[in-house]
Amino acid sequence: MRTEPTIIIRLDGNGRVYRPGETLAGDYWIESLTACQLKAVEVSVLWHTEGKGDEDMAVHEFWRRDADDGRQIDPSRPERFSTTLPNSPLSYEGPIVKIRWCVRVRAFLPLGKEVVGQKVFQLGDVPAVRM
Amino acid sequence: MARSYWYYGKKRGHRRTGSPALASAGEALFFAVFLLLGCGGFVLFFTTLVVPQWRVNHEFAQNTCKVLAKRIAETQGTDGTLYRPEFMIEYDVDDVTYGKGEWHYDIHKTYSSGRENAQTVLDRFDLYDKAKQNVYPCWYDPANPREVVLARGYRWWIWLVFTVPASFVVIGAGGLIYTLLHRGKSAEHRAAMMQRTLERELFNAGPRGDQQYPSIPQGADIINSPGTKLRFRLPAAASTGWALFGALAFCVLWNGVVSVFVAMALRSHIAGKPEWALTFFIVPFLLIGLGAIVVFIRRLLVATGIGPTLMEISDHPLHPGGQYRVFLSQSGRLIVGALRVSLVCVETAAYRQGTNSRTETREVHRHEAFCREGFDVQSGRPLEVEFDLELPAGVMHSFKAAHNEIAWTLVVDGHIDRWPNFRRAFPVIVRPAGRL
Repeated sequence: MRTEPTIIIRLDGNGRVYRPGETLAGDYWIESLTACQLKAVEVSVLWHTEGKGDEDMAVHEFWRRDADDGRQIDPSRPERFSTTLPNSPLSYEGPIVKIRWCVRVRAFLPLGKEVVGQKVFQLGDVPAVRM
Repeated sequence: MARSYWYYGKKRGHRRTGSPALASAGEALFFAVFLLLGCGGFVLFFTTLVVPQWRVNHEFAQNTCKVLAKRIAETQGTDGTLYRPEFMIEYDVDDVTYGKGEWHYDIHKTYSSGRENAQTVLDRFDLYDKAKQNVYPCWYDPANPREVVLARGYRWWIWLVFTVPASFVVIGAGGLIYTLLHRGKSAEHRAAMMQRTLERELFNAGPRGDQQYPSIPQGADIINSPGTKLRFRLPAAASTGWALFGALAFCVLWNGVVSVFVAMALRSHIAGKPEWALTFFIVPFLLIGLGAIVVFIRRLLVATGIGPTLMEISDHPLHPGGQYRVFLSQSGRLIVGALRVSLVCVETAAYRQGTNSRTETREVHRHEAFCREGFDVQSGRPLEVEFDLELPAGVMHSFKAAHNEIAWTLVVDGHIDRWPNFRRAFPVIVRPAGRL
């Protein structure tokens, strides 16, 4: 039976609230994938909106590693990432606008196939709006 | 949690899962077809319009000819009959006589709508008369002497024809370049590229407010006017004049159109042949028109009868947990039932529903900072008050993106005796409470 590749993302201090200006660090790896199957991998620290409106998104930090560069990417080996978080926008839970921060890892496989994994984290401690 | 994207996927709202590679290839193919059509059109028009015209002017040899017959040729176009002058001529090239039995004039053999123009051309040429020996210049193709014209020159409209393939080339090439530049790039990669471009522009532009607080409006227009009592005078959200003009424009346009149908209906009733279907049909439109008049008059009363509202603040931008002084001045000649100033936070979400764009707003926070009931405002003696404003700790900061917004506003609500209520809003920017 063939197993789908799975992306695992782990944040240092998992589950805690991050504050603006703090360092967000962690690592990621991909299970059930061999090195020759991985063409490139992208890591983004980004926010996006959810809710009633169309989605807005902005990338705070972006890294890309290509297997074409001559470096073999070992998907099973944990890879570190680290960034300083910005002052805004803070994570927010409103009735029609929600702002979510996440680390998103996108792996590019042969034949245009992609695998995406993401880990949501909280930036700031703005309480959810209760209507 | 990981998600896999395959060649074919489902559409989930405005997000589509599927193979980005296949989508990119389809997009590239679409624009490539546009580009090919445009290039093909260029080649076709160039070879059939420009080259023959150029050859007539540069390669055709001059000769003389006898006009044996002339006529106006006709053909049926989409907008009626089209005409062109035609001549049967005779001319000699290397002791060989050409032309008999064939009709000639220009190289493009084009028809036009004016018969008079064709007749004018025809009148310029007289039939050959042996006594007069009248001949006219003509130009023939040395490679094919049967090809001959009586008129040379350049026609400007030929270049207009090229706008059609040019538009195809621009759309095709532009789309293809965009697609190839973004080929194989994820949404995050594209967003990161755009972000870097914006950051470079902002760096070159000067102020770094947007970079320090991304997605929070700078509010430069809020602090560019100093106050008389406090540090900044806040600008009103929308000009009363523009709102009034908008109401007037709608009122005039709507009622102008409706009045035509009202006149038709009235005429039918006066003539004794009432058109009841038209009469009933226009009733709702007439009611909307009357409503528009009421709205306009109400706005006019508010704009002219209630004087300006000025708002000043001790500091800006605001921060959650911060305390500020606010100065309010209300002019006019009013018997005020109640005047309230509130700090309001509104979420706005714009979204597409089918082909329509819709916007939904939701008030998520309202904090009354000032209220006074039952007082008069005299002409030349405006109400002037200063009060404290405390922004609660833990509230969300201002936020603005393409489709979503969180906006803070100081709102003045006035209830005036025997007058329409009025509302004036003064936007403010709230930034996060420093680094936590």
